[in-house]
Amino acid sequence: MELCGDNRSGSLQGVFEVLNKTIVRLAIPIAASALVLSACGSDDDGGGGGDGQTYKIAYQGPISGQNVALGENMANGIQLAIDEANESGDYDFKLEYFPADDQGSETQATAAAQSAIDDPDVVAVIGPAFSGPTQVAAPLYGQAGLASVSSSATNPTLTDQGFGTFLQAVPNDNAQGAAMAEWLASQDGVSSVMVVDDKSPYGEGLAEVAVNGLEEAGLDVETASVPADTVDYSSAAHDVVSSGVDALIYAGYYEALAPFAIRLNEAGYDGIGVSGDGSNDAELIHLAGDAAEGWYLTCPCTDATQEEATQSFAERYQAAYDTPPGTYSAESYDVANMIIQQIDGLQGNVDRQSLYQALAGAEYEGLTKTFSFDESGAFAEQKIYMYQVDGGQIGYLGAVDELAAG
Amino acid sequence: MSATTTARPAMSVAARLRRRRWYQQPRWQRLFAMVVLALVMTQVTGAQGVRGDLFAALQDNFTGTGLWIWLAIFVGIWLVREFLGEPLGRYASLAGRQVTGPARRVGDLVRGNRLYRWGGLALLLAFLIVLPLMVSTFWQQVMVDQVGMYVMVALGLNVVIGWAGMLDLGFIAFFAIGAYSAAYWTGGLPVDPPFEVNNFLAIPLAMVTCLIAGVLLGAPTLRLRGDYLAIVTLGFHEIVYLLAKNWSEFTGGTRGAPGLDRFSVDLGFWSYKWELDPQPYYWLQLGLVVVVLALFLRLEHSRVGRAWTAIREDEVAAAATGVNTVRFKLLAFAIGASTSGIAGVAYASKQGFINPEQFVVLMSVLALSYVVFGGMGSIPGVLLGTAILVWLPERLRDTVDPQDRFMYLGGLLVIMMIYRPQGLWPSKRRQHELKMAETGTGGADALGAQPGGGQA
Amino acid sequence: MSVSDIWDVLVLGVVLGSLYAVIAIGYTLVYGVLQLLNFAHSEVFMSGGYGGVIALTLVEPVADPSGLQSFGYVILGICAGALLGGLVAFGLEKAAYLPLRRRNAPRLVFLITAIGASFFLYNLAGKLFGRYPMPMPTMYENRKLFEIFGTSVSVTQLIIVVTALVMLLLVDFVVNRTKLGSGIRAVAQDPEVASLMGVNIDRVVSRTFVLGGLMGGVAGFLFGTNLQVEYTMGFLPGITAFAAAVLGGIGNVRGAMLGGLTLGVVEAFTVELWGDAWRYVGAFAVLILVLMFRPTGILGERVGRTA
Repeated sequence: MELCGDNRSGSLQGVFEVLNKTIVRLAIPIAASALVLSACGSDDDGGGGGDGQTYKIAYQGPISGQNVALGENMANGIQLAIDEANESGDYDFKLEYFPADDQGSETQATAAAQSAIDDPDVVAVIGPAFSGPTQVAAPLYGQAGLASVSSSATNPTLTDQGFGTFLQAVPNDNAQGAAMAEWLASQDGVSSVMVVDDKSPYGEGLAEVAVNGLEEAGLDVETASVPADTVDYSSAAHDVVSSGVDALIYAGYYEALAPFAIRLNEAGYDGIGVSGDGSNDAELIHLAGDAAEGWYLTCPCTDATQEEATQSFAERYQAAYDTPPGTYSAESYDVANMIIQQIDGLQGNVDRQSLYQALAGAEYEGLTKTFSFDESGAFAEQKIYMYQVDGGQIGYLGAVDELAAG
Repeated sequence: MSATTTARPAMSVAARLRRRRWYQQPRWQRLFAMVVLALVMTQVTGAQGVRGDLFAALQDNFTGTGLWIWLAIFVGIWLVREFLGEPLGRYASLAGRQVTGPARRVGDLVRGNRLYRWGGLALLLAFLIVLPLMVSTFWQQVMVDQVGMYVMVALGLNVVIGWAGMLDLGFIAFFAIGAYSAAYWTGGLPVDPPFEVNNFLAIPLAMVTCLIAGVLLGAPTLRLRGDYLAIVTLGFHEIVYLLAKNWSEFTGGTRGAPGLDRFSVDLGFWSYKWELDPQPYYWLQLGLVVVVLALFLRLEHSRVGRAWTAIREDEVAAAATGVNTVRFKLLAFAIGASTSGIAGVAYASKQGFINPEQFVVLMSVLALSYVVFGGMGSIPGVLLGTAILVWLPERLRDTVDPQDRFMYLGGLLVIMMIYRPQGLWPSKRRQHELKMAETGTGGADALGAQPGGGQA
Repeated sequence: MSVSDIWDVLVLGVVLGSLYAVIAIGYTLVYGVLQLLNFAHSEVFMSGGYGGVIALTLVEPVADPSGLQSFGYVILGICAGALLGGLVAFGLEKAAYLPLRRRNAPRLVFLITAIGASFFLYNLAGKLFGRYPMPMPTMYENRKLFEIFGTSVSVTQLIIVVTALVMLLLVDFVVNRTKLGSGIRAVAQDPEVASLMGVNIDRVVSRTFVLGGLMGGVAGFLFGTNLQVEYTMGFLPGITAFAAAVLGGIGNVRGAMLGGLTLGVVEAFTVELWGDAWRYVGAFAVLILVLMFRPTGILGERVGRTA
């Protein structure tokens, strides 16, 4: 066992796990011992920087399937945070990234969550990325006492259900929908608004809050639903134009907004266009080209490429993954760093429960915003920022409450 | 060049017609196919595409070593087949006979003897009962949420397609109806039911709902032939899916129905509640499957089962000999639908949350391929096929890039259908039907004639 | 709904419907000769979209193309889409269906093979080109071209309808007037007799696949121009076009055209009246209703008999 160094308790657990799996596979004992040896070997290789524990931070989200683009943004952000922490040498523990792929699907969510729960080295989970899988997976995390910190599941009802260890590290849809309404109401010459959602839980939730806010502000509101997988946006664009509204809110993701914006442009729509964080992605401009010009995009995030504090993050991200950070990259990076900071703060007494307690009470100033949670695990500060596509760039305008007031 | 052609003796017209250029000869065509296969395999195992750079993966694959490895492998296979094929083939068939001979004797022994057969079944059941104790919780979740659920659905689908021979591409619709009925009757939907019931009581209610839905869909459409039925059932599924998605007042719409009741038993003196732990669900599902299986096994060899076989093999002949085809087809539809409904209740209760995205059309297509993969019409085949195909992507999670899992699954389906079209564990009758089809003496399903001129 | 609205919706429906019609041809041709539901045709369609993107990315269209340049780009895209579509269809037939035909496999086996091939192909495309939607490079300035009865028609819409029309006329000509066409019709009616009469069935089947693939590829390019190109783009249009082929009478080329147009228009009106969320409910309800009263589709089955 000397091969395994001083990391004894950890590798013993590993041995048991390997044995357990081996029994299932009905492999011969020799294979088992070979696996044990290789497990120890890799532990040793990884333990070069410090001689402390290895902690795993899991990410539950879509790493395959339809929504992989959004999931990858987050996975990269988390991995970057972990790699940087390991390389910095500031910590006397090692961190490892643990992917738990749920394909963004509820059916896969339990198995994905369980794979993270089953690994005793996993001390915290970032995710689930989407609200639907969160409904299914969060109770499991709650039972296991494993903190699940989602940087992107924005459904406001999630924190009402008493999942136990769920922390919503992102302002929920209520804040964003209300901000859109507030901002539109403050604009001159806007008296009628059409709210189009994409028939996703995210879009519908956002649209509902926006509609309520707009109606309260005394504007005329029309609604429509266009599923994100529709084969033709011409009909929807035709409806918008023929209704003659002054402004349009699109509640959905950039993949769908791009063709919609093109059709709108073609149909001669010249009103204001507003969309939420799901569309706030550089890819929107790539896909929609000139048609994206002038669109307003809200986000609970400050743009990673705009603010000075985050400029260097964007550069490091670009260097590591050959692509600029996308929606929720910086937020996931922040959440991962928040977790790492809390692990450090516990000074070796890290278990799942204590880490959850630490996270729930934490206040962490990240690149994008200051993270803290209220008692239900909802995000404490609910500030929304406004962007506008201008000259092929997503330009930062400022915080919505300030813009609406000024 | 022209000198050599004129030097040849004049060919007859027929000979000239028969003459092929060198590249038209089968041997070289096979080489060409192998090279193409190698290229495809290079892409399959190659790099992942990069956002914003269309040709990144292609460039990587064509400049990497993978290309040469695959070319070597496939050209090697071609060389062996072309020049060493015959002696190797003789040896292989000899070895094959030596292996299959004893295996078949053991098989006959087990099948022939009642005691062995029941003993084997009991052993298998005992193994299935203790199985969850031997695997990690992750695999328990997979077994319950994915394997268990699809197994039940596949059993139902087997009745419709395997026994009655009707091509149903919308089977998950009934699963969805079952799940939503369970949610409704346990008070989980925005609309309150007249009275709330326990999940166990929701099972018969869901079965009845599915049965009615099955008959409603089946009655007007069952006189359609195979392919028409396929698209109609697919359309039915899409309509059910869109209803679940758009009728928010009843179903909760896209945001779904959270916090559903879980199974519970309260007998006064003893009560039990199924919670988050997957193990108890596993045993519950196993129990349900065993009950359904016991009923189905009786059904297969009853008058009803024989009527289905007759319909599957030749509907016109069956009708001519006095089988009420419409009634029996409706019956198959209804039985299949209600089985799927049971699965729906179990699923909704385990997940505690349902939304329309859990019942997409793709799942119906998958369920169909599970059944055929295992060997349609054969219960052990269907169970095995479903278990393997659901298990495989989860297993591949650790070995291949998770994004590529369904690519491999698709490839596997194609290869399987080419080399073993009867499925993993075909029923004897089905095997016979396929053999008859191969020699062109009968139809192998109720879908009409075979493609490419196999009609008798 | 005012009269001008009806015209607007009709135009949208015809544009969409002509796309469906071109895809549906692929299903119907293959069904005619093989009685096979070629589920993987939606992936042939998808590869046409990628063909267009690849060709146009290689060429790099200039920023402000002249009319002639734009025309060239569109033709290039169409050809590239058709080429890749035809290639994929050809490979699909040789690799997946030919071995099955050799052993006279039943149709369900074909169907599962088609499903498997479809899974394989679209995931492979996702792997190679990235699992992101990508826009068709700008080939022309898309603007309002002219008006009919107060409804404006854009360049994209015109391109789609005209190309679809040309493709449909072409396929109708091939099926009814050429040697290949008579081969297709002969195989569709009775493969055994056709074979006895000297029709090379393998060759006819293979070429039918290629013909269907060309159609699918062109439709994929047009669809990508109208929306965007993505590895999953084949699924829904594929299913709808399949429904269109069945609606018109599967195996019947003119039926597929009619079915495609009908479904396109039905969808457009459904969307106008009840919203985009109910799009397919309208389409499939019409399909089920028609099949209840005409079990073999509007124009009936088979290439050989009616077309």
